[in-house]
Amino acid sequence: MTAAEIRTHIDPMRPEFADQRSLILPALRFAQREKGYLTLDDLEAVAEATDLTPAYVEGVATFYDRLYLRPVGRWVLSVCVTLPCMLRGCDELIDHLCDRLGVPPGGTTEDGLFTLQEAQCLGACDRAPAIQVNAEDMLGPTTPEEADRLLERLREAPAPDAYVR
Amino acid sequence: MPELTLTLRHRRAGAPLRELGDYERAGGYAALKRALANLEADEVLYQLHRSGLRGRGGAGFPMGRKASFLPKDAPLRKYLVCNADESEPGTFKDREIMEMDPFELLEGMALAGYAIGAQRGYIYIRGEYNHHAEVLASAIVQARRGGYLGEEIARSRYSFDITLYRGAGAYICGEETALLESLEGKRGQPRLKPPFPAVAGLYASPTLINNVETLASVPTIIERGADWYAALGTEKSPGTKVFSVSGHVLRPGNYEVVLGETTLRELVFEMAGGLRPGRRFKACWPGGSSVPVLAEQHLDTPLDYESLNAAGTFLGSGGCIVMDDSGCIVRASLRLAHFYRHESCGKCTPCREGTGWLERILQRMVDGEGRMEDLALLEALFGRIGGKCLCALADGAVAPIQSALRLFRDEFVRVVEEGSPRPEPMVEAAVAAGA
Repeated sequence: MTAAEIRTHIDPMRPEFADQRSLILPALRFAQREKGYLTLDDLEAVAEATDLTPAYVEGVATFYDRLYLRPVGRWVLSVCVTLPCMLRGCDELIDHLCDRLGVPPGGTTEDGLFTLQEAQCLGACDRAPAIQVNAEDMLGPTTPEEADRLLERLREAPAPDAYVR
Repeated sequence: MPELTLTLRHRRAGAPLRELGDYERAGGYAALKRALANLEADEVLYQLHRSGLRGRGGAGFPMGRKASFLPKDAPLRKYLVCNADESEPGTFKDREIMEMDPFELLEGMALAGYAIGAQRGYIYIRGEYNHHAEVLASAIVQARRGGYLGEEIARSRYSFDITLYRGAGAYICGEETALLESLEGKRGQPRLKPPFPAVAGLYASPTLINNVETLASVPTIIERGADWYAALGTEKSPGTKVFSVSGHVLRPGNYEVVLGETTLRELVFEMAGGLRPGRRFKACWPGGSSVPVLAEQHLDTPLDYESLNAAGTFLGSGGCIVMDDSGCIVRASLRLAHFYRHESCGKCTPCREGTGWLERILQRMVDGEGRMEDLALLEALFGRIGGKCLCALADGAVAPIQSALRLFRDEFVRVVEEGSPRPEPMVEAAVAAGA
């Protein structure tokens, strides 16, 4: 994404912040919408749009789990692995998904469709075991059979208009 | 005791209150209109103080007192920040409030903003809650259109607007100073306190930070009166609180109760539907994953701040995680240790290194490679991690494990000797129960 495109997104927000550095997260999140992850070029574009250095932008970006600095799949599947979900079977769910997708946690399928990752509490403990596709609303409770149906649905689905992670 | 839904207003209304008209018909914005027409800012602040409302995010600090710490005559702008970074394992109450009662949060923020003299508020919402952020964004647009946000709101001379700010995945950003760092465009690492945010918060300006549920409780207090609210519950724990119940219960969900009137047993066995047939209660983390664990002998503890303290734990966020006798306490402790090791921001050495130690020791126990000396090693570690850092994350990592070792020592010994087999999952029973 170019610095000019990022500016069109963040410029209207400028009056809302006394320090323009606050625009860095909105800028990074916006830049990520294009491909679903951030390249070095994207980080430089964010730096230019926010008047910060690329090193600073990268330092901030690496802090946050939901900013990806490497290519990830079209659908990032986040399986919550914290205690409430563990008590309701998330370990079986993630094993099942690893098996179906042929990747370990953190891995991306060869066709580039799916990245499977462990998530730290999605705030959906009432739906445990919970799973989130990109940043859509959390799903659950998810049985292995439901996980299979979810994969099927996502394989057929068109790519999203924007990648909100 | 039955539920009393004050903050979960949509449950009283019987439908989500995501449209401004629906919220107004359910009594919404009456408090803000009346306050702006009839009350000075100081009187609203006094009502908050008098209500005794305590912070619902975890620390339980009285909101009115926190608000009164903001300097009255500082030349700097003042800010109100809503902490919507709900990430404490076992906690999902703010999610329901934002999704179902978004205007109640916005109205509470306008009232709190008026009380402290802030003209801008920020909602810092965790990145994972994208769907909920969209609901809030729509509510903000509607509230501006309805004259409840922006210039001279509700036909008064008070101007107040709200910016929605999305995080990007970091538990530590729920710590108030880490949240401010993140909102200022930095890595979300906690600050050294003092100065506290009331004096030097966002952009070094006086700032009041409150949790979603705390702020969403404000309209009811102003509408019904601080004395009415304070008469609910106990002297030190007034009002209602939403408990999120999860884990091995048949009806996981949010339950709002008057503090002090309901016991842990009633919450778990009546409201949340109890356990699977044939299962026995074993352990419960009543205030999110960062609090000391309780066992069966604590089931009759009333749910309020002081009773839970007397039982050796904290009310915390109200995220009540229940485990039955199919669960292994060492395995559960390991899962929590993994969480804190993953979420440690790395700024303070005792936390950065210590959470990793806790995880590695518990992991080898679960794997059947533990040594008896590991129990003493764990005990030696607790005091070297807790109370030694800038924020409470490390204390939260220690508390559940330290208490588990105290209450369930025999099981730790057994796991050291034999390891811990993986337990059966519960998901099918949960689905069958319609959970």
